[in-house]
Amino acid sequence: MKTILKALYILVMAAATIWTYSVPDANAFQKPGMARVFLWHFPPSVIGTFLMMFGTWFALRAVVDVRTGSWMRAQTDPVQRAEFDLKSLACIEIGYIFFVLTMVTGIMFSYLQWGDWWSWDPRQTSFLIVLLIYAAYFALRFAYSDESKKATFGAGYALLAFLPGMFLTFVFPRLPQIKELSLHPSDSITGGGIKGQYAQCVILLLVLFAILTVYLYRLRVRAGMMELEMERNNGKLENNGGDPAPTGVVRRITVSEQD
Amino acid sequence: MNSNWQTEIKAVFLKEWRTEMRSLSGILTSLLFSVVTVYAIGFAALSTKLHGTVIAGMLWVALLFSASSSLTRSFLVEEEQGTADLLRLVARPHAVFWGKALFNIFQNLVTSVILSVLYLGFTAATVTMPWLFVVSLVAGCLSLTGAVTLCGAIAAQAANRSMLSAAISVPLLLPLVALGVSGMRISLGDGSWASGGMASVVGLIGYATATLATGPYIFAAVWKS
Amino acid sequence: MLKVDRLGKKYSGRWIFRGLSFELGLGDRLVILGRNGSGKSTLLKTLSGLTERTEGTITFPEGDLRHVLGLSALEQSVYAQLTVAEHLQLTADLRSCPARVDELLQFIELGYAKDVPAGQLSTGMKARLRMAMAIQAKPKLLLLDEPGAGLDEAGRNLVDKITSEQAQRGCLIVATNDPLERRLATLELQLAD
Repeated sequence: MKTILKALYILVMAAATIWTYSVPDANAFQKPGMARVFLWHFPPSVIGTFLMMFGTWFALRAVVDVRTGSWMRAQTDPVQRAEFDLKSLACIEIGYIFFVLTMVTGIMFSYLQWGDWWSWDPRQTSFLIVLLIYAAYFALRFAYSDESKKATFGAGYALLAFLPGMFLTFVFPRLPQIKELSLHPSDSITGGGIKGQYAQCVILLLVLFAILTVYLYRLRVRAGMMELEMERNNGKLENNGGDPAPTGVVRRITVSEQD
Repeated sequence: MNSNWQTEIKAVFLKEWRTEMRSLSGILTSLLFSVVTVYAIGFAALSTKLHGTVIAGMLWVALLFSASSSLTRSFLVEEEQGTADLLRLVARPHAVFWGKALFNIFQNLVTSVILSVLYLGFTAATVTMPWLFVVSLVAGCLSLTGAVTLCGAIAAQAANRSMLSAAISVPLLLPLVALGVSGMRISLGDGSWASGGMASVVGLIGYATATLATGPYIFAAVWKS
Repeated sequence: MLKVDRLGKKYSGRWIFRGLSFELGLGDRLVILGRNGSGKSTLLKTLSGLTERTEGTITFPEGDLRHVLGLSALEQSVYAQLTVAEHLQLTADLRSCPARVDELLQFIELGYAKDVPAGQLSTGMKARLRMAMAIQAKPKLLLLDEPGAGLDEAGRNLVDKITSEQAQRGCLIVATNDPLERRLATLELQLAD
């Protein structure tokens, strides 16, 4: 059944890809035929943004004990923190891939329509900062070797990154002075600029990307959970020194004064 | 806030004050950094009359790097000298955050004011809206301090803590720099209050409030196991 | 007073200790023995909450942990620029407990160094200051890591005095690789290498 669903997904994705080439040219652009890059630019940006939001939510769950409402690290369960951090990490990792795809297609669009690979457009620049913020998240995780520190500090940084990330995504591009300077269209969707086959194709790709995201997320979380479970219950599977240390036993000293 | 909190925050602030004022290493390094930066910019610009946006941009870059190099120290030093465990044992996280953040705000304000005065003098810039300049500077300092103090705490236990704290704090602060530049360039006569001045002031104050309001909670989550 | 149940700590893929369970009551003095690197200090740090446990539970005596728990560890540093008295005032303010500066200084025989910056103290004097800060709030559970290290005979007598006073009000755990310090104990735990 799963194989059939996967095959069906690949077929629909192939059909959607062909469709992106057959939609009519967008005449409002300098190179109307090339404007269809948008179809591969917009859906990943939406999915990526949602993933970063979910990543922040799971990071919050990792550091806050919902039963007590406590933020104190000592009062939260390390096992629960590791599991929520894994979900947060999965969202941010997959979201980052979509963000990179958004940036790459954005650069292509910039070259095709505005004449330069990188034109320091405020929207392009602010999105690069978002990429840098989340790149720092990965750098932070690499800097710690202890898994519990990775989880704690990773989740803390994900929370800290949320506000600047959202500001750069939603507020900054809509500031009047930025809107004036930017070549990037900012109200194509809300202003009803995307119509007909373009709109249908965007919706189809959004759905297909969303399905892919759910699949990748579940796969990543399942692999991570297995790793956590293996660490907890089967130290022997580790290569080096994974065996549990022999347990010491507390015993009462009967003769102590003579020592 | 009850009297215990006040006593605890005051104790951390006093500890920071005494250790800093008796060694002067952080504040002197920060001031030296400011003077050298201002001199370097003045030297690079030579006698060119700089545009308001360029002046504001360069000043904010100097403020950003001055803050990210000096303010992260407050936690890095505790880990390097092995005193962090003493604080973890006896202090509540909110008291540590606020005590250190208040001292960092003081240190950052002093450095920023000196840096700005020197900078404006060197570049011969005219401030047309002084109140907007002051609001941008103060709200910027508050936001910078909140975010950088937290980044210091997050990076403090890593092996490459100094580089890491700068690497994670600078991208987070870039939106703040954008807001700060936007407000400051108007105060330097480049643009009008209506063309973004209002948005940047609201943004800076909002950023400062959000950072300092959420900071103690995020700090409590990462400070002690 | 203290209940430890199946405590385990894993670091970088290696278990330092695992499945450790014990209970301490009033007057119990546990000494943890083991060679360098056997995990004694990690166990004390885990018990004090400075290092996160990987699994298991620790139940402390009732009350604010800042008052209930005292720790003096060899690797714990003091602020070089603060004086001895300022250290005691700082820890008291942060714990919201009486500072007892003069009383404690007299107890640890460091009254003459009250206004000396900690950076100018000898190793033994710093150890005494750490112990004073650890017992300041009269904790029910006192953890001492290598308490005899760097101390002269008078210093070791002070450790004996602290441990017997602690046994009156609660319990004590000492981590050491010095077999002589078994004299402090009523219970022992030998950690494997």
